[in-house]
Amino acid sequence: MSCNETAYIVAASIDESLPLAQRRQLDAHIASCAECRDAVADTRDGMAHLRQWREVAVPRWQRIPESLNDEGLREKLRRARPRFSFWTQWLPLATACMLAVAVVLNVQVQIGGDGMQLSFGGNSQAADISEQLARFEQAQRSAQEQALEQLVTQLEARQDSANLRLMETMLEQFGSSTARNMEQVLAYFEAQRQQDMQLLQSSYQRLADSDFQTIRSVQQLANYVQYQGGQLQ
Amino acid sequence: MSLSEQDEALIRAALEGSARAWERLVRRYEGRVYNFALRLSGNETEALDLMQEVFLGVFRNLHRFRGDSLFSTWLFRIAHNKAVDMNRRRSLLMPLSALGGAGQTEEEVLEHFHDEAHEQNPQALLDTEQRNAGIAQQLSRLSWEQRLVVELKVFQSCTFDEIAEMQDVSANTAKTRFYTAMKLLKTQMEQTHVV
Repeated sequence: MSCNETAYIVAASIDESLPLAQRRQLDAHIASCAECRDAVADTRDGMAHLRQWREVAVPRWQRIPESLNDEGLREKLRRARPRFSFWTQWLPLATACMLAVAVVLNVQVQIGGDGMQLSFGGNSQAADISEQLARFEQAQRSAQEQALEQLVTQLEARQDSANLRLMETMLEQFGSSTARNMEQVLAYFEAQRQQDMQLLQSSYQRLADSDFQTIRSVQQLANYVQYQGGQLQ
Repeated sequence: MSLSEQDEALIRAALEGSARAWERLVRRYEGRVYNFALRLSGNETEALDLMQEVFLGVFRNLHRFRGDSLFSTWLFRIAHNKAVDMNRRRSLLMPLSALGGAGQTEEEVLEHFHDEAHEQNPQALLDTEQRNAGIAQQLSRLSWEQRLVVELKVFQSCTFDEIAEMQDVSANTAKTRFYTAMKLLKTQMEQTHVV
């Protein structure tokens, strides 16, 4: 009767590190199976025959590659040595994997007034960016309008009070001033008003310029984000 | 210091740039590798080429040796791969020439086994030569995969798991290959009246 286990029995029989319990099972099988017994004996004979091979001396040969003298060898070995620590070696791979996962899962990172938001999936990144941009512009505009209004109000109030104080002082000083004097006073007031208006106008212009620059920066940022979004998709 | 510790010390020194340590490391294993190559190829020129390729491969990859296994196991994994590559390239399964003794002068034979016992007894030398030639001849009749399994198991004492990993097969396949190869060898031995 043919034994299906012979190949494995033969392999186990020459395994010198076989645990004792398995060795006993193996011996029991070999004792009861003639085919395996013969195969094990033949294998041992065959191995003994092959091990009669007598080691042949190595012919003379160049142990260090011919092209390398001592210095060359040192240099080559030094170059072959890993120059980075374990973590530095794996860092680029880890970064690449994270980016690949981010691309596959379509990860979106949004940083706003409420902090950072991380979202997965979705296909309306460009639309979201445009919407956010519009909202941001609107908020910027209204904030600037409010600030301008406040500035004008404060300037007017300050101007009024300054004029009033000046008038009071002048009236006290020139209690019986002549009509001519009054005209001079009025002319002075008018000049002051003109100066104030110019000052107000230049302030408004500076504010408007600053507003324009802010919007341009935001637009550039939005274009960049849209470009990056397009690249990732 | 154990053999593997000595190996590791030599490897460290070689990686630091010591050509002497590299040479000592090569000398420790060149005999095993050369005879491995000789039994597989049955040809001294091919064997020398293969040995040089193996040590060049070891040289290039020395920094990758992590000490997870014995250096000899790691080295013979490279030797196995180089032998497979060389077999593909040059078709090693050619008739044995150099080992058969045919065409070799006695001086050439003497160069192979230059120890005192053989130098004093040329007959013993010729017997050894013939025995080696017979073994190489028998091995050459096995398939390439079988020859490699027998070589790695009988001469390099690799485990079947290690052989399986090298040959990219299961351990059971490696065991079956070995068993089949040994049966064929047994038949050959009977035909040549070795047993």
